[in-house]
Amino acid sequence: MTFEKSAMDPELKKRIIEDLDRVFLDSSLRLQGGLSYSFEVASYSLNVEMDIAGKDATTEPEKGNENPINYHSTHMSSNWPLNDNNITNTSVGIIPTGNSIVESSACSSASMADSFCPPIWDQPVSGQSLGYCDVNVQNNVRTSDSFGPTSASTGWIPDAMLRGGTFLPTVPGMLPQSLPHFPADSGFIERAARFSCFSGGNLGDMTNSFSIPENLNSYSRVLASMQGQHEVFAGDGTKQHGMQSRKHEMNTTESSKEASLPLEYGTEGSPLKNEKMRESLPCSHDEAKRGVGMLANDSDEAEFSSRGDQEELEGSPGLSFGKRLGSKKRKRTEQNRELNENNRALEQSAETAKVDAEIQHKGDLNPASTSMPAGKHGKQGSQGSDLPKEEYIRVRARRGQATNSHSLAERLRREKISERMKFLQDLVPGCSKVTGKAVMLDEIINYVQSLQRQVEFLSMKLATVNPRLNFNIEGLLTKDIIQSRIGPSSSLAFPPDMTLPYPPLHQTPPGLIQPGLSGLGNSSNALRRSTNSPFTAAFREPTSHVPSVWEDELHNFVQMGINSSAPLSSQDLSGSLPPGHMKAEP
Amino acid sequence: MPSNHNSIKTRFTYRFARSLKKLNKNRPASQSMKETYRRYHMIRVASYASMASAVGPKRAWSRAVLWKIRNRTLHRTLMKKSRIHVLRTRKVSGNPNDLRKLVPGGEGMDFCRLLNETAHYIKCLRTQVQIMKNIVDHCSN
Repeated sequence: MTFEKSAMDPELKKRIIEDLDRVFLDSSLRLQGGLSYSFEVASYSLNVEMDIAGKDATTEPEKGNENPINYHSTHMSSNWPLNDNNITNTSVGIIPTGNSIVESSACSSASMADSFCPPIWDQPVSGQSLGYCDVNVQNNVRTSDSFGPTSASTGWIPDAMLRGGTFLPTVPGMLPQSLPHFPADSGFIERAARFSCFSGGNLGDMTNSFSIPENLNSYSRVLASMQGQHEVFAGDGTKQHGMQSRKHEMNTTESSKEASLPLEYGTEGSPLKNEKMRESLPCSHDEAKRGVGMLANDSDEAEFSSRGDQEELEGSPGLSFGKRLGSKKRKRTEQNRELNENNRALEQSAETAKVDAEIQHKGDLNPASTSMPAGKHGKQGSQGSDLPKEEYIRVRARRGQATNSHSLAERLRREKISERMKFLQDLVPGCSKVTGKAVMLDEIINYVQSLQRQVEFLSMKLATVNPRLNFNIEGLLTKDIIQSRIGPSSSLAFPPDMTLPYPPLHQTPPGLIQPGLSGLGNSSNALRRSTNSPFTAAFREPTSHVPSVWEDELHNFVQMGINSSAPLSSQDLSGSLPPGHMKAEP
Repeated sequence: MPSNHNSIKTRFTYRFARSLKKLNKNRPASQSMKETYRRYHMIRVASYASMASAVGPKRAWSRAVLWKIRNRTLHRTLMKKSRIHVLRTRKVSGNPNDLRKLVPGGEGMDFCRLLNETAHYIKCLRTQVQIMKNIVDHCSN
């Protein structure tokens, strides 16, 4: 089906309308990857401004796509001189291939947009057009009501698509005068904006090339401003919740605004926001990413299940952190949902927000958005004041605290660190009464060192003990090994551990162990601590200080060999043992 | 506790047991100290490698361990030289640096992430120690 700008039959029109509706709803199902479908729509609308002369929309095989309508769309996009490459690449590349309906409707929308724009360019919005569009709206609502909200993301998307689909397929063959000018500026822009919301990363390329010349009229400027705002959240493609909140921003920006201002703000807002978001979620980024992805679909259970299988060891830190993050984000999505409703009400009343208010909103947003109170109480305490004051704040400064962006980020970082320290406190035994970061860190370091020394010790034991056993371990013993938690040597019972070295020492030929031990003893002076007797050192502090006991045990190991082996064969001791082999580094 | 068939513990046990088997297969009859030491060193490396590969590339510390082991020959010479020095100056204060040295891969992280990795590392170390103890018990029985 070749598309041309010549007059079209009403049947064709109707078919196109239906196609479009189906397509919009269909593509709403696949919005996760940031489909450029909506992006395309917006791009075409922008394209059209430049295409004033009513170019002939002949098909052109630009890419190896079977559907000729697709060629039309790419041709359209390439008309725009400014971002020729970007739009062409993105729009063509991202079109869901294999879906002819999608492509057909894309092209149809393009043609519609094309037929729209010239009149808008020339003539102001008229009440006539409004009426026409309303008729279309009704038609489309009727046809596509059956589909219902199908997208996994918020429920209003199909609605938006619906409405978006409505005015696009208006009178393609109509002459300029009679065309319904987008009631445009407000309605169409909103919806175009909403569509473009969904194409996350692709817009980033596009928006930068939007150099809007001064002589464009208000329509183009508004569109450009929409694109500029898209870039704000296009920058963080993974933060879909940000997208949702920004959409509301779009909804409130109607009528003429300066293109440059939102663009600039958008560009500086997004990197700032990005880095702050990234800084605030460095540690649990994996969980956060998954959490955000889940949240975009408003499925909290899925969020927890995705986090649940991240860590396999018990008491996973990721899960606990993720839960806390999840609670933060849940609050945000609740806020967003409320904001959705608010904004829809606003939009329906055709309210136009001012640029200043918009910028103020954004200004408030950025510093506040960086402070994500780690505790839930922070959010709850201030949530009541959120809605009336702001529309898209995600995080809030706590009561009576500085709202400087730096101090907020700092506070956030401190809270995160204290969270993790608390978790580590639970991990490290004997640290419940310890307070203070420095002491805690010392304890953690000691514990890690002791664990590493244990590994070394055990591997030494394995090296000496194992030769006696034929390793059937892979068969039966593995299960036993895994399940025997409390064997003869429990983890924290040091005295039994102390005795363990002895039997192997006596059983194995003395020649083996003792030279080894004395080699160990020779190894470094640091290991030789002044201990009166090999055992009293160990039993002096059985459980209080973990690391020193282990070190003492090693000393015992060493000194036992030294004490019991009177005649040493010193020839073996020469240079075989590098001095620092007991270092606790793998 | 319920047994997770694909848990880190299980994976580590299998890998470690396999490596031990391999190490013990070509075990010469000589029981010199040199040999013992070499075996000790290989077993220790095998233990850390098994744990790191059981954890997978998800964690920075496991990636660092595996990377280190891959470049082991180079590292060995370097580490030998630095070992003496480090042992003598063991009681250095200055916590974040110490912790960074202890946790593999901890050098190039911010503190928050370091704490995260430390927590996971501690858990895995514990598992490692426990399993190795069980093995030793089984072997010595």
